[in-house]
Amino acid sequence: MPEQAQRRAPALHTVDSPARDSDSYEELRHLIVGPEQRGIAEINRRLDDPDRRAGDVGSVIAEAIEIRRRGDDASLASALAPTIRETLRESVRKDPHELADALFPVMGPAIRKSITETLRSMLESFNTALENSLSWRGIRWRVESLRTGKSFAEIVLMHSLLYRVEQVFLIHRETGLVLNHVVAPSIASQDPSLVAGMLSAIQQFVQDSFESPRGDTLGSLTVGDLQVWIEQGPHAVLAAVIRGHAPGSYRVTLTETLEKLEEDFALPLAGFQGDSSSFRAATDRLAALLETQYREKHAPSRKPRLAIAAGILALIVVLSWIVYVTVQARRWDNFSRSLASHPGIVVTGIDKSGGRWHIRGFRDPLADDPSSELSREHLASTDAAFELSPFYSLDSTIVLRRANAFLRPPPTVQLSLKNGALVVAGSASSRWIRKLDERAPLTPGVSSVDTANLRNENAVALQSLVLTFPLGEATLDGGQEATLARARNEILALRDLAAATGQTMTVSVIGHTDSTGIEGNNLVLSRQRAERVSALLFPGGFPGGAVERAGVGPSQPLRPETTEEGRHLNRSVTFQVRLSPTAPAS
Amino acid sequence: MLQKKICMLGSFSVGKTSLVRRFVSGIFSDKYQTSIGVKIDNKTVEISGEEVKLLLWDIYGEDRFQKVQMSYLNGMSGYLLVVDPTRRETLEDALDLQQRVKESKGEVPSVLVLNKSDLLKDWDIDSDRIALLERNGQIVLCTSAKTGEGVELAFSRLARAMLESPA
Repeated sequence: MPEQAQRRAPALHTVDSPARDSDSYEELRHLIVGPEQRGIAEINRRLDDPDRRAGDVGSVIAEAIEIRRRGDDASLASALAPTIRETLRESVRKDPHELADALFPVMGPAIRKSITETLRSMLESFNTALENSLSWRGIRWRVESLRTGKSFAEIVLMHSLLYRVEQVFLIHRETGLVLNHVVAPSIASQDPSLVAGMLSAIQQFVQDSFESPRGDTLGSLTVGDLQVWIEQGPHAVLAAVIRGHAPGSYRVTLTETLEKLEEDFALPLAGFQGDSSSFRAATDRLAALLETQYREKHAPSRKPRLAIAAGILALIVVLSWIVYVTVQARRWDNFSRSLASHPGIVVTGIDKSGGRWHIRGFRDPLADDPSSELSREHLASTDAAFELSPFYSLDSTIVLRRANAFLRPPPTVQLSLKNGALVVAGSASSRWIRKLDERAPLTPGVSSVDTANLRNENAVALQSLVLTFPLGEATLDGGQEATLARARNEILALRDLAAATGQTMTVSVIGHTDSTGIEGNNLVLSRQRAERVSALLFPGGFPGGAVERAGVGPSQPLRPETTEEGRHLNRSVTFQVRLSPTAPAS
Repeated sequence: MLQKKICMLGSFSVGKTSLVRRFVSGIFSDKYQTSIGVKIDNKTVEISGEEVKLLLWDIYGEDRFQKVQMSYLNGMSGYLLVVDPTRRETLEDALDLQQRVKESKGEVPSVLVLNKSDLLKDWDIDSDRIALLERNGQIVLCTSAKTGEGVELAFSRLARAMLESPA
């Protein structure tokens, strides 16, 4: 304000001349509109200067876009879309890898997720089929498992899935310098920095040699059962040294880990100058790549239980077999001993060959059947082969059995053995006695024959006969012809026996009387009665034997004479017979 | 520990591998060079109290038929440019190679090594040319892989140059 006052003051002194008027007007105008003109000129300069205009717009463009976006106005997106599209297209045209590198952490997981979902169902059914299949290979592996004592899972892993991630390298892609390195326990490793360097040299060698377009990289190296799987990111390389055959899913694990590392270590990777200390933080994640494999290897298996069960079963079978064989051997041993206790059987040996038990020895034909003993020991007759030679046993039981078979005694005769002597007791016909006399000495095992208690049936029958007479007479009572004939037959049979056996037979015809009458007369009468019967029996004399006739009066009564019947029986003739060895002729 | 990748560059038979062998005891056989054109060794050196692990990429010598694969030089922090002073053309080839490296990888610290200093009398090289290179900032050293002279120095000078380099 003081300045304006000063400027106005000179203007008031110059109003009286035209030149001065013009100057004054100009000055006045300058005073009145000057500030506005300067403002307009400033605005014009701003509008004419594209840099300043850009600066002005740039300072508010973000806020402006934000305001339009909040207004839910789609026109902004429509307006920007063609430009952004063109920008992306231009970027890709210039260098496709720049955009690819930028999208790398996003695209990988998205693509993998889609593919994984598609494959999952297919793989699941495939795995199930594989697990349940009883292929020849599966059986062979089970046999190998039993043979080597390794679990079935181990055998399967050894053949198809066994793998061990021995080392993992995190390598700076551009320099080939190792950023981090983990190694499984008890694995010897070379200097990781050299290995990492050579891996990137090989990588570059392959790319250059085969003119691979950038982006196509060496995915794996294989040496025998050792593989190196290599995953390349924009800045880092992950290399896993694997022994055996890792599943395809492990590649996914590698890729995912690399993506996470690229994301988490983006700054240290981009500005890497050789200091790898900041990558120590990645150790756990790299070690997890070793552990993933470790868990696979120790997957629990139910296969060993099967092997154990099979082993126990086999053991049971073997034990049962041993028990069975022992019991069988014991049974056959018992059988052999009890067989030997049978009279007439001698066992010299028993052994098994050709699936049968062979029993060797001797057997008397009259001994017990050895087969009967088998059933008592619960042994099958088909398992036994008897090789028993026949022989004559001198066992008393068998000798007696043999005598009975040989002599066929009538039921009234009992045979027994006493110190080798055949004791014959009871009564038998002259005919059988004659056979006994012939055969008994020929029976094996019989040294002598004792017939002291053997009675002759003919002699007994003869001595039981009674021929009666009327009182005081020497003529037989009537009706006794049959008795007389029988007496004759018995005497003849006895005579034949005596002749056959070399004995001398003496028949006594004895006359009796009752006690009535005079004693002297009775003796005579009894003698007459004996003479009479003797004459009736053998009118022409007795051939081949001695017949004695004797009268004993009433001295040897047959019955007490208390009744008439008793007295009648005492008026009779009876017989006595005596066989004695013939004296050798002098 | 800091790691640095350095490359051994130079013509065929100038003694790159012999220099490396003098410097380190590695695990890989030399046959790698003939198969894939590179062999890697490492050596830890101490520069100004700091330990630096040098990864030495010993790259197959250039000749008429085979040029260095530039991809092997990716990410290197420095290189030794080895010249056999008894063969004049190896210097020209080396400088030509250095030019290509500069075009491909930009300015990377390097040390020009005149190997075979034990054969000084056989040298056939333009000393003015060397002096000019030195004036232009190129580090130049004499070594002998045979006697070991200057070998450690060459590597440690390169390492120091790398650490001082802004890249």
